[in-house]
Amino acid sequence: MSHFQAAGCQKGPFWRRPLLIMCSSAVLLAGTLFPSQGQTIKDNLNRTVTVPPRAERILSLQPEITRILVALGAADRLVGLDYFIGRDDHLFKILYPDGTGLPVVSRPDASINKEVIVRLDPDIIFTSPTELQVPDSIQRSLGIPVAALASMGRFDGLLKEIEIIGVLTGREERAEELGRYFQEKIRFVTESIGPLDPEARPSVYLAFWSSLVRTPVFYEPVQAAGGRNVADHLLPSYIGTIGTIVTLEQVIKWNPDIVLIQGSFLPREREVTVEGVLGDKRLGSLKAVARRRVHYTLGFWYWWDPAGVLVETLYLARLFHPDKFGRLDLEEEGNAIYEMFYKKKDVFTELVKFLGFHERTEK
Amino acid sequence: MSVQVSNLKFAYPEFSLRVDELAFERAKVTAIVGPNGAGKTTFLKCLGAVLPIPKGSLFIDGRDLASLRSQERARLVCYVPQEHDTTFNYAVSDFVLMGRASYISPFALPSKEDARAASEALDFVGLTHYAERLISELSSGERRLVLIARALAQQSDILLMDEPTTFLDPKHETEVFQLIRKLASGKMKTVLVTLHSLEMAVQHSDQMVFMKRGEVVAHGKSAEIFEDSLLERVYDMKMKIIDWEGRKIVIR
Amino acid sequence: MSGRKNNRARGLAVFFLVLPLFLFLVSLSIGSYGISPRGLFKTMVSIVAPSSHPDVPLAYRDILLRIRLPRILLAMAVGASLSVSGASLQALFKNPLVNEYILGISSGAAFGAALSLVFLGRAVPPQIAGFVFAVVAVGAVLLISGKAESHFITLLLTGIIVTAFFSALLSLVEFFASPYVLQALFFWLMGSLSLASWKDLYISLPLIAVGLVILFLLRWRLNVLSMSDEEARSLGVNVRREKILVIAATTLITAAATAIVGIIGWLGFIVPHLVRMMFGADNRRVVPLSAALGASLMLVADDIIRGVSPFEIPIGIFTSLVGIPIFLVLLKKTRKVWL
Repeated sequence: MSHFQAAGCQKGPFWRRPLLIMCSSAVLLAGTLFPSQGQTIKDNLNRTVTVPPRAERILSLQPEITRILVALGAADRLVGLDYFIGRDDHLFKILYPDGTGLPVVSRPDASINKEVIVRLDPDIIFTSPTELQVPDSIQRSLGIPVAALASMGRFDGLLKEIEIIGVLTGREERAEELGRYFQEKIRFVTESIGPLDPEARPSVYLAFWSSLVRTPVFYEPVQAAGGRNVADHLLPSYIGTIGTIVTLEQVIKWNPDIVLIQGSFLPREREVTVEGVLGDKRLGSLKAVARRRVHYTLGFWYWWDPAGVLVETLYLARLFHPDKFGRLDLEEEGNAIYEMFYKKKDVFTELVKFLGFHERTEK
Repeated sequence: MSVQVSNLKFAYPEFSLRVDELAFERAKVTAIVGPNGAGKTTFLKCLGAVLPIPKGSLFIDGRDLASLRSQERARLVCYVPQEHDTTFNYAVSDFVLMGRASYISPFALPSKEDARAASEALDFVGLTHYAERLISELSSGERRLVLIARALAQQSDILLMDEPTTFLDPKHETEVFQLIRKLASGKMKTVLVTLHSLEMAVQHSDQMVFMKRGEVVAHGKSAEIFEDSLLERVYDMKMKIIDWEGRKIVIR
Repeated sequence: MSGRKNNRARGLAVFFLVLPLFLFLVSLSIGSYGISPRGLFKTMVSIVAPSSHPDVPLAYRDILLRIRLPRILLAMAVGASLSVSGASLQALFKNPLVNEYILGISSGAAFGAALSLVFLGRAVPPQIAGFVFAVVAVGAVLLISGKAESHFITLLLTGIIVTAFFSALLSLVEFFASPYVLQALFFWLMGSLSLASWKDLYISLPLIAVGLVILFLLRWRLNVLSMSDEEARSLGVNVRREKILVIAATTLITAAATAIVGIIGWLGFIVPHLVRMMFGADNRRVVPLSAALGASLMLVADDIIRGVSPFEIPIGIFTSLVGIPIFLVLLKKTRKVWL
């Protein structure tokens, strides 16, 4: 993984993001007004992709998209999965048990079996923008449209995806329902917190991707929950990713109020743990360590699971502003959110068990 | 310092050397001659234990060379190659100093005594003024002299020189032979040299050994055995030896 | 004339030998967390005499003692190791195109680290597994080339084959890795001092020290070993035994260094050449000066990485960027023929 490729500049004046949203919405809107011509979208690698008006056969090599398909009730259109969902996603088997029968088309080293793809004959393929060469390679050799989409750590990215897939699968109503639900929940959080001075936002350092020094520059749950990601002014390492690598000295310099460790790994696979951080002598001067404010957050699980990220935002809101969320029953809320998206019960309780997140369910 | 060869055998894939019995006299210069491929260099390398030899084939003062440790062996016998391949460009003094390797343990540095031996050796070949020069800056003749100086620094009793004068101009050639003579008579060293030039061989050596196809054909005092018939037998061509003002000249 | 040249050379040598110490002090003051030289001094004093400066923040001490110091020491140790290793192997193999990885150390170490991260979990840390397999790779090379181990071409080819073999094994291991472990592995393979800690140093520093001492003591012997095998033998050297000793020592230090920081190319190749260009081929000078120059170069590279950018550039890339231009400049300027 080279850290030298030029990163798309994501920082800038405050109006840039809303402007971007407006523009992409306009493009999307233009697309939806003429459904018979399909949508033209700009994916997260800045590629312009013409998506067919409807897709009956979808090959999703991007777990986030796969989960959205399941949530939209359009998972029957899946013709194949990627290795991650197929092998490593602990939750997917519960969310979509029929998925175990689907062929796994990609491998951990980002290689793909093109012959299998041809045999599966998908109308569209989704990949992750972190695998830079894959989209063009497939599109060039197989002529099937490939879109490299991901939320990139932002809610609007996630919502856009839901919308796009909704149109693609003819499940616009369901997509709209989920979109509204999502935004309501987020609004609930931000309104409960109320207006915040910058100093009232706890500073948060996110130790993601099995490392103390790799951190995402975008992770909207933190911001929505009333916190501030200390790394939010940095540039990602390369286009298509949102992570960057810092140094321990930098982390100590930031001296965050809270340290969040990516906890989506199974406990036995975790390289960075809460106990590890609390016991790390190099970090002894951090106030987060002194006050034992080191926790796990769901983080990314090959990008997001829309239900998961909502629950996570609630959890973080309670963590950052306990006074405003004291009466929140996270377990109940969590299960309800998962049920809304995936029509299955007690999923959140299961997840908490897998990952050992007992804090979340303690009353 | 007697050198006694007894049943020496060595084999390459396509060539084998076999010398049954041979002895070399101390403080004398012996020239080993013969056509190309006769095994002269191989024989010399065996004598220097540069090539592996079986036990019981080479005795120096009654000691089996093959059973000696490398250091002891080096103090007895030194093989001087024809040329040195300069990958690294050492200074002449450093180069000659390497001759002291058998007197210095692997983890030690050369002592003052070693430095003195090296500079004496360099002096003996007349190149003291080149001590700080780099090997690459010397002519090939001077490099030969430096190789000999290194062998001298090694202070072994027996010197085996492989074609020390090949490719040298007449002046340097004569210098080298004078040096060899000084080594034998002045320093009492037993010197064996392989040569191509028969005339030089007979003029500058006390003894000669004729080799052909891996075997010793004849050996003895130079003046005595140097004859037309022997030359014809060894070189498979008619040759005539002419005496001219005490020097022997070979007409082919 | 030569006296003046000698004095200049000696002065330059002393400069290079002292340089690492100077850079050591400079490096202590460089880092994202800005500590002024005054703060640095106060911190160092307070470490020795805790009561003297009670106002020194805990962060200063943690950063100095637990982040900067181990990293700087590691940089010096690695820089010295790789350079001395390269110099020794170049002499041993009588070939200036040799670098310290030719016997398969880099791919053996990478495979060991991968094996540890993917299958062995915490049972065997990647550093130890990396070291073990680096040694295994070299052992394989020596074993396979067998009696012909003295011949450079045989060793080189065997090294290439063993390297390729372990690389293939590495790919196989990567295939079975979960994406998270893969990420940790990539981070390790890139070669970085970023996570240097005292734990790593406790094991690797003694190993590196032993190897460096051995090679330092052998420095004159390397001159002799750099002669052709025939010449060396006739000079009274047990060529086989001493070759194995040198290979063992270089393997020890290179494997220990690589197991901790990953693969750092070019250093072991360039530094000995630079030293020879300036000071000649005598290994009595080349070995210690390579150690000093290698340590200095690593420190400079690491200082730049730490001081300039908030994120980590893998140091291996950096040493090439710093070392190669220096090499080219010296190549143009040098009048001595050093090869």
